[in-house]
Amino acid sequence: MKVHLDRERCQGHGRCYVLASSVFESDDDGYGFVISGAVPDDFHDAARKGAGNCPEDAITLIRD
Amino acid sequence: MTDDTSPPDDIEVSDTGLALDGPPQEMYKFLRDHMPVMAVEHEMMTGTSVALHEDVMTVLQNPNIFSSLGAAEIGQVRPLIPLEIDPPDHSKFRKLLDPLFAPRRVAELEASTRSLVNDLIDAVIEDGACNFHSSIAEPLPSQVFLTMFGLPVERTAEFIELKDGIIRPPVEGIEAATEHRNITGQKIYAAIQEAIDEKKANPTGDFISQFLDAEVDGHRLTEDDVLDIGYLFFLAGLDTVTASLDCMLAYLAQNPADQRRLVEAPDDIPAAMEELLRWETPVAGVIRVATQDTELSGCPIRAGDKVSVNLGSANTDERFWDEADSVDFDREINKHIAFGGGIHRCLGSHLARMELRVGLQEWHKRVPSYELKPGTTPAYTMGLRSVDNLELIWET
Repeated sequence: MKVHLDRERCQGHGRCYVLASSVFESDDDGYGFVISGAVPDDFHDAARKGAGNCPEDAITLIRD
Repeated sequence: MTDDTSPPDDIEVSDTGLALDGPPQEMYKFLRDHMPVMAVEHEMMTGTSVALHEDVMTVLQNPNIFSSLGAAEIGQVRPLIPLEIDPPDHSKFRKLLDPLFAPRRVAELEASTRSLVNDLIDAVIEDGACNFHSSIAEPLPSQVFLTMFGLPVERTAEFIELKDGIIRPPVEGIEAATEHRNITGQKIYAAIQEAIDEKKANPTGDFISQFLDAEVDGHRLTEDDVLDIGYLFFLAGLDTVTASLDCMLAYLAQNPADQRRLVEAPDDIPAAMEELLRWETPVAGVIRVATQDTELSGCPIRAGDKVSVNLGSANTDERFWDEADSVDFDREINKHIAFGGGIHRCLGSHLARMELRVGLQEWHKRVPSYELKPGTTPAYTMGLRSVDNLELIWET
C-alpha cells in the first residue's frame, strides 16, 4: 500500500499524525506528512485510520 | 428545493416548539430536513444559512468564492488577521502563526495547564458543588491565553466582560448590538495597545513581544498588524474553550454511563473528546461572504450575500455520518469539523484540544462522580454555546 498526502488540501487538523503516528508525522507548523510513502503491512490499519479521519479528505491510499 | 419540503416563507424557529436555549441537535435536523438553505436575520448577520455537510464543506473549501473578509462584524475597524485575509496573503500570515500553535509548542504548556486545572479544582472540591462555568471553564483557557499572549492575568474578569460585550452584547436589537460591539471593540484595541507599548519597552517571551519582532514576506509586522492579530486572538482565546468545556461537562453530567467511562478508562478521553466536539460543536457556525453569484443546493447566492455555515448541523448530518445522532466514543471514523475546515481551520485547535483533554483528565480524576444540581437545566447561548448556569454537585 502507498499513502499520498495532498499538501495543498491539508489544512493542519492534525488528526492523521495523532491517530496514526506510525504512518504520519507533524511538521514544525502542525501540518501532516507521510513518513514513508510505501507502508509496511503492519501499518495498513493505521494508514486507513489516518486517511479516514482527515476532515479535508487530503489523504489517498493506493493499493499495490 | 422541491415543493414537499418547502416550509412557509415566514416560518419562525419558535414554531418548531424547540427551546432556543436547549440542546440544538433536533433543531439542526429540522433545518436540514425543511430548510437546508435558508434566509436568516439576527444580531450576528443577515444572509443565508446552510445546514448540510456537503454545502458547508463547499463554502469552507472555496475561499475564493466564499471570502472571510467582512464576514463577521465583531467590532473590528480593520480586517482581522489571519481570519479576514484571503489568499495569497493568508498563507504568509499562517506561516508566521502556525508554528506558535503547532502540537510540539502546545506540548510545552501541558504541565503548567495541568497544574492550573488542579488549582481551580482545589478551590471548589471540598464544597461538593460549583458553577462549573465560572469556577473552571472560564478561568482555565483565559489564564492560559492571557499568559501566552502577554496580557495581564490580573485583569481576567475585565477582559472576559469585554469579550462577552462582543459575543453576547447585553442589549436588544440589531442596531444596539452593533453599537455596543463597536464601543467594546475600541476598549479591546486599547487594552492590546497598552500591552504593545509595554512590550516595546520591555520585551518578554510572549506572543506580543514576538510579533513586534516578526516579519512576514520580508516586512516587519506593523503595530496595526499586531493589533489585528491580537483582536482576533482575544475573542477566540477567551471564549471557545470555555464553551467547549461547558458543553462537554453538561453532556457528561446528564449521561452517567459515559461519565463513568471517562473515570474508569481515562485512555478513552481523547476519543471521547473528539466525539463530544462533533456532537456538541461548541462553536456552532462561522460566516463567509460570497464574492460572486453562485448557488448552494440549488439555491441562488448573490455576490455580497453573507453565508453562515452551520458546523453543528454538518457534524450531525445523517446524509454524511453513520449513526449521526448517537454519541459513540468508539466511532472509528470521526472527521468532524468542530474547528472549521479549509484554509481558516481554527489556528488554536491544537491548543484547545490540549486544554480540553487536560481539563477532562484532571476533573474526572478528582471528581469521579457528579451530576447537575437538582432543579437546574443547562441553558446554552446561541452561536458560541456556553452554559453560564452549569451547576454541578458531587459527594465529598
